[in-house]
Amino acid sequence: MTDSAIRLDDITHRHTPGAEPALDGISLRVDPGETIALLGPSGAGKTTLMALIDGRLRNWSGAARVLDEPLSSLRAPSGAARAEIGFIFQEFALIDRATVRQNVLNGRLGRTNAFSAFFGRFSAADTYAADRAMADAGISTLADRRADSLSGGQRQRVAIARCLAQEPRVILADEPVSNLDPARAADILTLITDAARQRGATVIFSSHQPDLARRFAARIIGLRDGRILFDRPAGQVTDDDTDKLYRDAPAPQGDGALRLVV
Amino acid sequence: MRTSDRTSLAAGIIIAAAVLWAGITSDMSAERLASSGGRIADFLGRMMPPDPSVMPEIWKGTAETLRIAVLGTLGAVILSVPFGLMASARLSPGWLSRPARFILALIRAIPLILVAMLMVGAVGLGPLPGVIAIAFHATGMLAKFYAEAIDGVAPAPIEAMESAGAGPMLRLRYAIWPQMAPVIARDTIFRFELNLRESLILGIVGAGGIGFYIQTYVRSFQYDKAASVTIAVALMVVIIEGVNALLRRRLS
Ligand SMILES: Nc1ncnc2c1ncn2[C@@H]1O[C@H](COP(=O)(O)OP(=O)(O)OP(=O)(O)O)[C@@H](O)[C@H]1O
Ligand SMILES: [Mg+2]
Repeated sequence: MTDSAIRLDDITHRHTPGAEPALDGISLRVDPGETIALLGPSGAGKTTLMALIDGRLRNWSGAARVLDEPLSSLRAPSGAARAEIGFIFQEFALIDRATVRQNVLNGRLGRTNAFSAFFGRFSAADTYAADRAMADAGISTLADRRADSLSGGQRQRVAIARCLAQEPRVILADEPVSNLDPARAADILTLITDAARQRGATVIFSSHQPDLARRFAARIIGLRDGRILFDRPAGQVTDDDTDKLYRDAPAPQGDGALRLVV
Repeated sequence: MRTSDRTSLAAGIIIAAAVLWAGITSDMSAERLASSGGRIADFLGRMMPPDPSVMPEIWKGTAETLRIAVLGTLGAVILSVPFGLMASARLSPGWLSRPARFILALIRAIPLILVAMLMVGAVGLGPLPGVIAIAFHATGMLAKFYAEAIDGVAPAPIEAMESAGAGPMLRLRYAIWPQMAPVIARDTIFRFELNLRESLILGIVGAGGIGFYIQTYVRSFQYDKAASVTIAVALMVVIIEGVNALLRRRLS
């Protein structure tokens, strides 16, 4: 037994045999209710690490426990275990033709009675959680709109509401603000961290922006080449730390590239 | 000379040669061409006025055409489900999906009227060969559409649902079905419209439906009756198009 929300011991993973490890001996403890930022250049292994915690990674070595359930390198966790961990996907992963309400209710599918849900019936607890999540995300008035009729920012709020409706004890957000201007980025991180605090959930978000990581996380983990370079309270992370993280890093690809200069 | 100029020149020469060849080798003497104008006018005159006494035949033929289109489409849907699954690059391995796609392309390449003639030869006159021909012919297109609907399902929402703990039945119900169903409904309605249009003429080769009366009346020189049936067919095409445009707007 441990009291940690997440406990990783010496995790190593290669996407393809013989390749450089994407995770290279990662050990980590996270207490329940912590808010953590994962910083690191493109290819550092942030997405891979979060996929591991989400139970989606196979073929790794080491030992991992999430919410006191051991993870298996060979098998996906049970539906009940997966429902405890929420993931906010960078590309939102919504059902375009479904309404906002249905997309948010989809977050309940691991929690609700599967038989009823198959025939379109959701419990009072499901609707309550969905309504509360939509209210927190500021999208209650959009509930009956189709997802493909929304703006990018509204779609992101739907993705966040879906995760909140799931009532997960751990929330993982992969670069939730990489494409947003600074004001909107702060809004989204406020939404995620406040909602998580109200629900007592642990949060891990990845980012390329050290200033936002300092502002919204209590603890920052610096990742590079699949290794933890530093792991400190946000107040103790120096510019030198973040410089080391990105110095001589191979040119980042994708949206991360633009953010290094901010 | 630029490439595009050279291409247009070559195209021009080929088109001129084709017209020349067709004109010279066809049995179309100048006299025959000149006199045919009058003959067509005479023919059209004999169609006028259309004879309304054939209304019962028109209704009977229309009902049979509709039956052929409905049953033919149903047959095509039933065939297209397994063939669509086989032709899906997502679900089926290449050794299965590639030959399946090739067979569907072959089926599409055979004109419906040809299939219908063969079926009349095989099972005899009446609506049955029409139904079989439509089902066969339409499967070439519909199964391809179904395979594309399957392959067009975005994987990200399925993964997101799995990550939230949803089991396979709920993923099918809430991630896969809502992405596929509207596409399949739209494609099936589109194909039904084509089937209805194409089955209007099936009767000409004896495969049932309203086309049978056109053929009968033309052969027996009852041009005024043939005219009524032709007008009915044209009206039906217009109605089908109107209904389909409405449906398409609602499904988009
Ligand atoms: N599906 C995959 N197949 C093969 N290699 C992969 C795959 N996904 C990631 N990798 C490799 O694993 C390493 C870590 O990738 P990961 O996506 O975890 O990095 P990241 O820190 O999230 O980067 P970014 O900031 O660009 O999102 C990289 O070297 C990457 O090329
Ligand atoms: Mg990533």
